[in-house]
Amino acid sequence: MDPNIAHPQAGTGGGDAYHMMIKTLPLLSALGWRNLWRRPKRTFVILFAITLGVWFMIVSAGMMIGIIEQQVRDMIFNLTGHAQVHHPDYRDDPAIEHSMLLPSKKLQAVLNSAEVKQWSSRVRLPAVVMSERESRGVMLVGIEPLREQGLSFIGEPVVAGRALQSIDDNGIVIGRRMAEKLETQIGKRIVVMAQDKHGEVADRGFRIVGLYQAELEATETGYIFTGLSTAQKLLGMSEISEISLITENRDEIDSLVARLSAAEPQLATQSWTELEPLMVTALEVYDNFMIIWYLIIFAAMAFGLINTMLMSVFERTREIGLFQALGMRPSFIVIQVMIETLMLLLIGITLGNLAGWFTIDVIFADGIDLTQFARGLDAFQMSSIMTFQLEARDIVTINIMVIALGLLASLYPAAKAARYIPIEAITRT
Amino acid sequence: MGITFHLAWRNLWRNRRRTWLTAGAIAFSTILLVAWVPLQFGAYDIMINASLNVFPGHAQIQRPGYQDKPKIRNSINNAEALAKQLRGSDQYQGVSVRAQGFALLSSGSRSYGAQVVGVEPEFEGNTSSIPGLIKQGRWLSSIDAQEIVIGSTLARNLKLEVGDEVTLLGGGKDGSVAAAIFPVVGIFKSGSNDLDRFFAEIPLRTFQNTFSMGASAHTITIVAKSVEEQPQLLDALNDAIKGRNDVVVVGWEQLVPGLKEGIQIDKVSGFIFLGILIAVVVFSILNTFLMSVLERIREFGLMLALGLKPRRIAGLMMLESTLLTLLGLTIGIFIGSLLVYWAHVEGFAYPGLEDLAEQYNLPGLSRIYPQLKLINFLIGPIFIFIATSIVAWIPILRIRKLEPVEAMRTI
Amino acid sequence: MFVAVPLNQPKGRVRMSMQTTKVIIRFFILCPVIFLPGYAASSDASKIIKAAMDQWRGITSHSTMSMTIHRPDWERTMTMEGWTEGEKKSLIRVLEPKKDAGNGTLLLDNKIWTFSPKVNRVIKIPSSLMNQSWMGSDFSNKDVARSADIIDQYVHTLIKTETNSEGFKVYEIESVTKEDAPVVWGKEILRIRDDYVMLEHTFYDQDMQAVKRMLTLKIGMMGGRMVALQQRMAKIETPDEYTEIQVLSAEFDIEIPQTVFTLSNLRNPRF
Repeated sequence: MDPNIAHPQAGTGGGDAYHMMIKTLPLLSALGWRNLWRRPKRTFVILFAITLGVWFMIVSAGMMIGIIEQQVRDMIFNLTGHAQVHHPDYRDDPAIEHSMLLPSKKLQAVLNSAEVKQWSSRVRLPAVVMSERESRGVMLVGIEPLREQGLSFIGEPVVAGRALQSIDDNGIVIGRRMAEKLETQIGKRIVVMAQDKHGEVADRGFRIVGLYQAELEATETGYIFTGLSTAQKLLGMSEISEISLITENRDEIDSLVARLSAAEPQLATQSWTELEPLMVTALEVYDNFMIIWYLIIFAAMAFGLINTMLMSVFERTREIGLFQALGMRPSFIVIQVMIETLMLLLIGITLGNLAGWFTIDVIFADGIDLTQFARGLDAFQMSSIMTFQLEARDIVTINIMVIALGLLASLYPAAKAARYIPIEAITRT
Repeated sequence: MGITFHLAWRNLWRNRRRTWLTAGAIAFSTILLVAWVPLQFGAYDIMINASLNVFPGHAQIQRPGYQDKPKIRNSINNAEALAKQLRGSDQYQGVSVRAQGFALLSSGSRSYGAQVVGVEPEFEGNTSSIPGLIKQGRWLSSIDAQEIVIGSTLARNLKLEVGDEVTLLGGGKDGSVAAAIFPVVGIFKSGSNDLDRFFAEIPLRTFQNTFSMGASAHTITIVAKSVEEQPQLLDALNDAIKGRNDVVVVGWEQLVPGLKEGIQIDKVSGFIFLGILIAVVVFSILNTFLMSVLERIREFGLMLALGLKPRRIAGLMMLESTLLTLLGLTIGIFIGSLLVYWAHVEGFAYPGLEDLAEQYNLPGLSRIYPQLKLINFLIGPIFIFIATSIVAWIPILRIRKLEPVEAMRTI
Repeated sequence: MFVAVPLNQPKGRVRMSMQTTKVIIRFFILCPVIFLPGYAASSDASKIIKAAMDQWRGITSHSTMSMTIHRPDWERTMTMEGWTEGEKKSLIRVLEPKKDAGNGTLLLDNKIWTFSPKVNRVIKIPSSLMNQSWMGSDFSNKDVARSADIIDQYVHTLIKTETNSEGFKVYEIESVTKEDAPVVWGKEILRIRDDYVMLEHTFYDQDMQAVKRMLTLKIGMMGGRMVALQQRMAKIETPDEYTEIQVLSAEFDIEIPQTVFTLSNLRNPRF
């Protein structure tokens, strides 16, 4: 630490003290380090407490982010994407007359830009699906199967049968629970009926080639999928209903949305935050919750920290008094205590971060299977795996918060120490 | 015993700082745990209410089989009398009679299928938030008024404004054609896509006339004072319909199947968080206890040197920590209960919730009202008491191993 | 987490009277071969079906009929009057019960309008709403929505020929649904008399279990032709829940002015 760089304008009274403090920092640090190991047992106990606290924070953050991420990803994967382009009236009334033309060259140029990871066109219109025994309203979705990969759940492998293979695929993929509702099964035929471009009934039979599975029943019973061209042929249309896309970073999508809007001003381009405002609100609620949660854990941790520092200060009453009698400023004593605290915090945080990382990325790298907790609930048709995830932002928040609040907490024992009247302190047994 | 107690008590106050810090740690932990569980369950109530108060209610009385296949012919004969009887008891917050059917709504050039619900304008607001969600125009005026309120998306799709007329066409209970023209008096916006796009409400009498229902209806929707009392509610309702085999009680778990699923999943993670919290506070207490033992090694050595039996010291320590724990628990439970009670009365304003609530007319959603249940209060303190009792053994075990002289040499 | 969950979804299992229209229309158009599947060429079975259809191709009719929906605890009968020209044009009016008298339906090139005197409005039925089961009757919507001009939906096989007690030859034809056909059934079995009156029509699911059956209860001369005068449709599992159609009067090959099949005639009946 070079004092000259730290404060080039040293010279005035305050600056002098500051200058001096900087100069003595290495000394104070060395002293602090030794103080810590005067009582290794105590230091280990408090280090363990800090480590554990940080570990709890990181693991719970990882869990919470994991849960939230799962929800956001499910939502995005549930045919939402990071942004969508529609006919302006389609969202209110998803009818065939609110279809849009295939993307123009201008729009395609933006869609094919580097930041767009994947985009795809869809036909997505209300239809009626019928089996021999039941009929239900659904959304018929015509997809480009290859382009849906990584874009939505339907690009993933199906749970039974096969996934769609091309835009001309004549098969239909329906939800597992939809098949139950329709009392039909894979390999059987169902009839899909919808309104065609001329307002007339268009219908045809489809063989169920695959069953997909989703977390929510509403998803499984809400959509049936076939090839894009097949759907267009059935409905007598050459248009599409929507374009969905995902990017590298869902949080930085505004400029892309703006460019898409600029390319096709007469179409409506919306980001996922506009498409799913409730999810955005939920995210804010979660964020607030996590801050409260960190504070709670920290407060529990702070009792131990304050206690340790107080103990450490009290047992050194005599030497602190001596220092003061020798002319050490109270502010130096405060600094001394804070440096010790900072050392404790830094070691604890480092260990805590390591433990957290180890827990999340090594032990629970595959997530926790919650099905065993949920046994007996037939509602859980799928295995509920809770995955952990960490974001730099949260780790930084946790670390900065622990250090800042830890130092703040150490002010109490520090002030206590600084306030000793030298004589009284020395005479204390 | 008297002397030991006296000694323990005096010992506690010999080092006030340490005592208050330890008691404070226990009290803080107790407050946390006392407040946490009720708050968590209170949050579930919110989730449940947010879904149920829009329309389904906490429970419905229906004809058997209506829930699975809502056929218009499957109606309850004297629904209003039954509802009146239920309203006579003050244990329900809201009781409303509804009749529902599917119909084509047309504005001339445009036609859309919609769920049309006949409601009692006077009582519907007690079981559904829709009457409070009218964004344009007004709510239905009387039980036989010739008017309709429709969802905002439906209105937009039909290109209808308040004051315009809409034609309704459907099938009546007797298979006849149900047709009527109503002026749109209100447009509601619930935030639920399905409601806003597929829902319309008309007065019950008007519905019964249009759909040739006579005096029958399809559901009696009940909202209890609190959704926690669901088992009692179902019992009470089953009691009320005793002797009638033409109706059944359907709870919200069946009315809104996805909801319970969601809460169950959430509960698992909620309990993991609770587990972490308990671990944190237990460790925090353990830490303070351990510190105070380290601090007192010399004192123990002195006691041993003075000829006190380790067992005696251990007994003293046990008593001390029990007193300390009880002190902390008392303070914690007292403050925690006050907080929970205050939150129960005033509601806990969770950041972000209020906006959400206002937007969707769910006053129940704006604040979390923690559940007041004895077991929720006690879970935390019990854990803490067990934890401190275990932790208290640590110093005792240490004392047994202490060599007086060596111990006294430590500061 | 805080998203309100939707309520009892009405979609897919609601009932609407308008949807009955196409079924009824079908009755008026092709009384004797109501549910006759479209034909495919080159087999004995196909020839029989083709011949049966040709008998009624492009014909005009004016008739009245009654429809009874029967349930163990409930029954309802309606009478209707209808005009048809070929398969693309028809107009139907309810005569009874009084409550519904005057309700009319016009089918023109697969588009449907309905008129209700109660509201004095003509409304075009959106085709997306054609899926419903109707008035609690036993006709599936698929029977309804099937366009008459769809051919090649089945592979027909003549599986049996027998002579019944009245001396008529009866053909039993198995019609197996083709892959893309908008038909949910695995197969259909028809029994047709050699004068092209349909006697029986059974619908099988894709496991080849019989699901429902249309039976001709009475055959007779009407308007100079031999037609099924009374037919009943019921599910195999619930024979006491059925829908019955009875032809009360009929004339064929008559002159019908083109103004009959217009919206203005639907609204202000001149016929």
